[in-house]
Amino acid sequence: MPRLSPEELRERMARDLPGAVLEATPLRVAPPPAHGPQPAPFVTTDTVVAAERIVEAALYLRDTLGYAFLSDIAVVDYLADGVFELVYRFYTIEGGDGLVLKVRVPREAPEVPSLTPYWPGANLHEREAFDLFGIIFTDHPYLRRIYMWDEFEGWPMRKDFPKQGDKYIGADE
Amino acid sequence: MTVKIERGQIVTVERGQRAARRIPGLGLLDGMAVVWKHWAGSFRKNQGFNDIHGVFTFEYPEERPKLPEAYRNMPILLYDEETGHELCTSCFQCERICPPQVIHMTQAKDPATGKPVPAVAEFVIEYDACMSCGFCAEVCPFDAIKMDHEFELSTSDHQKLTVFKEQLNRPISYYERIAPTMWAEVREGAMKKLQGNIKRRPDVIGMAPNLAEKIAARRRELEAAAAAAAAAAAPEAPAAAPAEGRKLTPEEKAAKLAAIKAANAAKKGGGATAPDTPATEAAPADEKAARLAAIRARNAAKQAGEAPAAAPAPEAAPADEKAARLAAIRAKNAAKKAAEGADGAPEATNVSAPEPAPAPPADGRPAPSGEAAGTGAAPADEKAARLAAIRAKNAAKKAAEGHDPEGS
Amino acid sequence: MFKTEELQINIGPQHPSTHGVFRMLVTVDGETIIDLKPVFGYLHRNHEQIAEQNTYLQNMPYTDRLDYFNSMANNQAYAMAVEKLAGIEVPERAEYIRVLMVELTRILNHAGALGFLINDMGMWQTQLAFGMREREKILDLFEMASGARMMCNYFRFGGVVRDLPPEFMPKLKELLVAMPAFVDELERLLRENEILMQRAEGIGVLPKELALAYSVTGPVLRGSGVPYDIRKAEPYSVYDRFDFDIPVGSVGDVYDRFLVRIEEMRQSKRIIEQIVEQLPDARGGHINPKARQNVRPPVGDAYARIESPKGELGFYLVSDGSAKPYRYKVRAPSFINLAPLGDMCRGYKVADVVVILGSIDIVMGEVDR
Repeated sequence: MPRLSPEELRERMARDLPGAVLEATPLRVAPPPAHGPQPAPFVTTDTVVAAERIVEAALYLRDTLGYAFLSDIAVVDYLADGVFELVYRFYTIEGGDGLVLKVRVPREAPEVPSLTPYWPGANLHEREAFDLFGIIFTDHPYLRRIYMWDEFEGWPMRKDFPKQGDKYIGADE
Repeated sequence: MTVKIERGQIVTVERGQRAARRIPGLGLLDGMAVVWKHWAGSFRKNQGFNDIHGVFTFEYPEERPKLPEAYRNMPILLYDEETGHELCTSCFQCERICPPQVIHMTQAKDPATGKPVPAVAEFVIEYDACMSCGFCAEVCPFDAIKMDHEFELSTSDHQKLTVFKEQLNRPISYYERIAPTMWAEVREGAMKKLQGNIKRRPDVIGMAPNLAEKIAARRRELEAAAAAAAAAAAPEAPAAAPAEGRKLTPEEKAAKLAAIKAANAAKKGGGATAPDTPATEAAPADEKAARLAAIRARNAAKQAGEAPAAAPAPEAAPADEKAARLAAIRAKNAAKKAAEGADGAPEATNVSAPEPAPAPPADGRPAPSGEAAGTGAAPADEKAARLAAIRAKNAAKKAAEGHDPEGS
Repeated sequence: MFKTEELQINIGPQHPSTHGVFRMLVTVDGETIIDLKPVFGYLHRNHEQIAEQNTYLQNMPYTDRLDYFNSMANNQAYAMAVEKLAGIEVPERAEYIRVLMVELTRILNHAGALGFLINDMGMWQTQLAFGMREREKILDLFEMASGARMMCNYFRFGGVVRDLPPEFMPKLKELLVAMPAFVDELERLLRENEILMQRAEGIGVLPKELALAYSVTGPVLRGSGVPYDIRKAEPYSVYDRFDFDIPVGSVGDVYDRFLVRIEEMRQSKRIIEQIVEQLPDARGGHINPKARQNVRPPVGDAYARIESPKGELGFYLVSDGSAKPYRYKVRAPSFINLAPLGDMCRGYKVADVVVILGSIDIVMGEVDR
């Protein structure tokens, strides 16, 4: 399989999976300062995929393009834009650079179809994303908290999680 | 089975027992042979890195390993034994970079003016939370904080692990002994910076508190210099400056008082502006003059307090009234010259150079009318000097009003 | 008749063989395992959020404490990620020193990991002690170079913090003299041991296709027969200048992973020998003099991964233009390698769980971050 660059990937996906690829809108990485120059927005070069089509796109990468190895699912909380961005990273066994698929879900209702039925390794990644950010993965066989204890309330890695103590710390101090 | 790839191969590992060893139990014995060899070798000491047999054990605590120079455990502060001064200037770089934020310090302030001084007043490190990362030692611009090699810090007293400056201080010779190459690399730069910092530390601020004798000696030194400076103007120059105590000598105290009084007077006369700011254009000329006189008086008092860099006349004390009169005459002459010359530009006070020692404006403060301020410590001759200054000012004002309404 | 009941037992979290605080909920029928659920989080130190509060440089000592066995490898991956984000170049000599440190780390990790595996099997620390003795030598080398044995904090953006001291190279050369004998002994000790083969052959099999689907990396993946090594697949740093082989297994059981690790120690030694040869001719210093440590990368993201001794260690950084990272994510190999634990253990006996866990070679500092 030839090694693809992100632009080539976008082309092929636009051709084979119409409607899956979305425009990579610029994201404001930090909330805009009260005054002064605005920080540059972040325009990603990777492919942004619609949330409902991620399974299809991932299977396309695996079956048609040969990128069978899912390495990492990372979540970034863009508070200023109100989205969570999930970054899926795929590699091929022959080696070389990987391909990245990004999915953006709104912060209020973060739901993404799970890749676990096809990639059992995504199980732990998705549990971590659920535990730390509160992203619900539909069809996940065992979506439970992984680091925090099961009854913990709150999503610790979100940007609006109170860092100066919440009801677990400071209540009786 | 091997497959060639770039610069190497993919090799499938061989599993299982080699054909010759199909007899059960021989694999076990083969492994035991290794253990046996090590056991036999355990009767001698290990020879070094190229030896895998022998006894490696260090019989700690009788035998101690030799730690490499770069070894870092907990931070310490350095001070120079020769001058007694600490190298730390409280620049806060280590506090900023410390990842677990265990360094805390406060900057030393000059007791007279309240301005910050490049020395550290208090310094605390919480040893129990320190990561020993070494960032503080890396960023210190003055090479004041370094990493120690001491690792036997176990204690059952948790409070003892919050360490203060007195316990953190070590002489430079200590650090030189544990890390000679690393110190040699930075020694020159560090000592040069230290000399610069010593100059800007008044009194004995910045000296390591455990060096009591050095501090006393330095105080004596400073006071002797002050006394020598005051001796020119004060007949009752103390024969021997008090050997200890932060109490100022009577002359210094009086000079300070006079300076404060002058400052207050100038403030009252000059309105809300602080007396030590250079004269603004808005103030009328006589206010300015009074303020200038006050500044001069205070500077002279300060210079009487610290070691004057140039004390050109450690001569026997002429009578202070005579000196004051001389100063007044000289001032008048200078004012007259200034009035004749009538340029408002600041000029070097060359007039003050031939004056007796006590008030060398050695830093050459520019004066519109070249007269020097107070002569020394005694209130009497302070007053005389001020009188002379005021007289000169009036003369200059009269002259200046004739030419240029704006003095500089 | 006798009816067996399914019993759920708890292995861990306080257990000498779980490589840290790790809990496994095992459902057994008699002694055969029906199901295994790993429970994480006992060492969760909130590393990623701490990293968002610190500047990039201040995060470096925290990366040491992720996979605390191989601190140099963590430093390498993080330094590479920040350099990618900020566009900092690394001089050649610094790259060689970095690779040297990481390969030494690989040797000491495998020596320790095999020792712990054998310890878990019940062979009581003989191999561990032998491995630890050689590990001590490498730790002495680390102490000479960086100042600390384990929490090295040696790498900076653009290179390493200080150059190798003059006494480093002679000691390293001495060590290389003894290294083949050491690895041979380690192998000979137990490779053909009948007990080991009974306990390791055919246990914990992870078939090739499943290994790929489970995203495992490192010796676990290679033990299952997939020849994927990031040093060859996506060469970073100066790895493309060295000749070394990639050992792969055939069956994917515990025994294969054991053999793969021993072979990797030999290959690491080969790389170090080549470094010792090529290092004197490397250009540049030990750090890029123009690199600022208080780096403010432009807005963007970057992902850098290395072949750490345990697998693929990656750092994903998102920058908002300030001195602190906006998002800092660690792709920890031990965490992902634990995903197939349930599948690998199903059908085997309880006593095999510990052995299989040992063969995956985890460090809880990474798993829980």
